Amino acid sequence: MAVCVAVIGKDNSPLYIGGIGNDTSTDNELSRQWLVHTALDALEERLATTNANNATASANAARTDLRDLYLGLLYSTDTHKIYGYVTNTKIKLVLVTSSTSPSGSNIRDAEVRTALRRLHALYADAICNPFHLPGDQIISQKFDKQVKSLMLNNV
Amino acid sequence: MADDIVFELLHSEIINYALEPKNTNGSKEVDLSVVEYIGFAAGYKIMERLTREWPRFKDELDTMKFICTDFWTCIYKKQIDNLRTNHQGVYVLQDNAFRFLTNFSNGHQYLEYAPRYVAYTCGLIRGGLANLCINSIVTAEVQSMPSCKFHIHVQRT
Repeated sequence: MAVCVAVIGKDNSPLYIGGIGNDTSTDNELSRQWLVHTALDALEERLATTNANNATASANAARTDLRDLYLGLLYSTDTHKIYGYVTNTKIKLVLVTSSTSPSGSNIRDAEVRTALRRLHALYADAICNPFHLPGDQIISQKFDKQVKSLMLNNV
Repeated sequence: MADDIVFELLHSEIINYALEPKNTNGSKEVDLSVVEYIGFAAGYKIMERLTREWPRFKDELDTMKFICTDFWTCIYKKQIDNLRTNHQGVYVLQDNAFRFLTNFSNGHQYLEYAPRYVAYTCGLIRGGLANLCINSIVTAEVQSMPSCKFHIHVQRT
């Protein structure tokens, strides 16, 4: 399903960027970094509007949705769709799907949400590794393997 | 419950270890910063897990309420009894029966040793808040034995 997922730290430094696929344009590190970083502005914008809406304390039903960790589709290009998720601890999870491949064009929102929630669970497990220092890149091979299977598994 | 007692015994052994003469450089001053740091690391890690199913926090007070209810319930199987704040970054959390102190005789008999048993929890709170991007200084105050007050000063830059 996904061609690339990324974990971005509190200070917008990449903690983990992983990608799969035979699509050569996303197979190399540089284009992955570029794809993920284009989404960060959209992501912060989304968060800023969320906070502004909460400040006005509008008692509408949408408010509970705004507090959801999953932010939905952030950005879409001709070739890719980028989805975002921000945890309470300000860790940003970004998932990139290909919009050109037949399987990628009809991805449902619920599938992406599930995938990002699972990625969050994997991240929480990786953080609990005593050898991992907060703010460092995630170099755990176990995490890498689990994320790769998450990407291949169609959620 | 078995897992509770394991945590309690390990905690008191960590304190005994930290107070061994070789770790305190021979000075009379007891050095609890190691214990506080262990708490910090644990708090930092546990926070990622606890907030996983939680909607985004509205503001700082919302975060403190989370510390008082869910965070405390997860670690000490009870909630904080009283939360007070001056709305300027100072929060006081009061626990009337703090678990690490309930095994001692109530009153003033062991009062001078009480600070050792709250250092870990201070670190735990500080680490949890640090992961939620709130930098703070946490101190504890024990006046009569099983009850304990934690003062949280949020550092604003």
